Amino acid sequence: MISFKHIKKAFGPKPVLDDVSFDVKRGEVFFIIGASGVGKSVLIKHLIGLLRPDGGEIWLDGEEISRKDELGMMPVRKKCAMVFQHSTLFDSMTCAENVALPLRKHRGMKTRDALIEAKNRLEVVHMQDFADRFPSELGDGMRKRVAIARALTLDPTYVLFDEPTTSLDPVSARRVDKLIRELSDKLGVTSIVVSHDLASIFSIADRIVMLYRGKVKLMGTPEEFKAVDDPIVQQFIHGRAQGPIE
Amino acid sequence: MSVQSRQATVAHRGFVFDLGSAAIDLARSGWELYSVFARTLYFVARGKREKGAVLRQMYEIGNKSAFFLTITMGFIGMILVYQSGLQTKRILPDFTLLGATYLELLVRDLAASIGALMLATRVGAGIAAEIGSMVVTEQVDALRMCAADPIDFLIKPRFIASVIMTTVLIIWAAAVAYVAGGATAYFAFDVPWRTFLNIQLVDHGDLITGLTKCVAYGAAIPIVSGYCGLSTFGGSEGVGWATTRAVVNSSLAIIVLNFFISAAAFVVFPK
Repeated sequence: MISFKHIKKAFGPKPVLDDVSFDVKRGEVFFIIGASGVGKSVLIKHLIGLLRPDGGEIWLDGEEISRKDELGMMPVRKKCAMVFQHSTLFDSMTCAENVALPLRKHRGMKTRDALIEAKNRLEVVHMQDFADRFPSELGDGMRKRVAIARALTLDPTYVLFDEPTTSLDPVSARRVDKLIRELSDKLGVTSIVVSHDLASIFSIADRIVMLYRGKVKLMGTPEEFKAVDDPIVQQFIHGRAQGPIE
Repeated sequence: MSVQSRQATVAHRGFVFDLGSAAIDLARSGWELYSVFARTLYFVARGKREKGAVLRQMYEIGNKSAFFLTITMGFIGMILVYQSGLQTKRILPDFTLLGATYLELLVRDLAASIGALMLATRVGAGIAAEIGSMVVTEQVDALRMCAADPIDFLIKPRFIASVIMTTVLIIWAAAVAYVAGGATAYFAFDVPWRTFLNIQLVDHGDLITGLTKCVAYGAAIPIVSGYCGLSTFGGSEGVGWATTRAVVNSSLAIIVLNFFISAAAFVVFPK
């Protein structure tokens, strides 16, 4: 289980997260939603030590991890993988080399063995034919699939998705949704998804938390979000231009 | 308190505050730069080698800079000898030691310093732009997620390659500048090749000083530029700033190192 407890974060004088607290249960698909710039991506980066909170605690499977140094975060990063917003594959490496990198670095596998394993992992996301291509030769959807394969190479317990369907066509987006749901249903992987994609949110989410002005506005199931009588929540989930959200 | 005196106090407080902030920022940057250098040395000694990474960087830093450095150092060699020759002609006019003093200056200082300043513009900008782009596109975060330390993975190969290739390139550049200078002396002032090719003023102290500068500059360029790249923030504007800072700070580092190494050389190898 993951617990965010009273997380505070500011960049310069501007507070981004102000006393954010919630829990994520094992095996669920948990969405973090909110307007752009509200601190959703900032929040999940705290979990894997890419950012440090100014205040508060983060608990992962009964262990407080927010004060760990770079070396101490290694086991956490083995357990929690992340698929970045723009896939962030390494331009100078082929798809197979990208997927092999965590195997070589985290598990200490030899390059040859890691590449064989990477090609097997690419097969799972139907990208085995593109193993020797460079990321610049692929489309957005393909790059996203390679990034997901890379994130899953270490068989993580938790996967963080930062806007996984942004810039994808609707068909590719729904395929990514299906993959996230299957990870939870078949492998018991816990997925934390930062997204604006209403179709994704209401088709695969188990629970949702909405951030507004650095605080938790509402947390609940998709049904609870639809039922709640709050103009801010209603404006967001219906994607209305007019309303109280600035 | 009058409005004017209050404004003066606020302005005064603002100046002191700005000065203090700048001093703290400078100290912090200095500490972070030192940290990058210390960690690079640690990974050079202890880290695992990425197959082909150093060779790739040697090609990028060395081979791709060779033409640029050959042309610039050739022209600088010609300009230096021509200007020196003109002055000599007015004062002495005896060209017997023109080649010898030029070679001593080249070996002891000019080849390394001018060559490294040229390299800082090409190599430093390239390193900062590449690493800065990786930072703003979250590739450096992705590296950390893969348990690959950015210093080990990005800075170390560039550091090793730069130390080797800067030394090699500067030796080559010194040779080019010397030959170009010799040709200028021959055609402009009728100084015979045999007279110009005079190594009597160059001793082991000059050679050691020159080589020390090559290694120091070769180390400084990737460390300073890599640090500028890693501290990039924002989007493409941030990458532009990082590139500018890399060139300016690498050049500054070369000039400051030149002063200290030269001062040490005058003490250790007095003339």
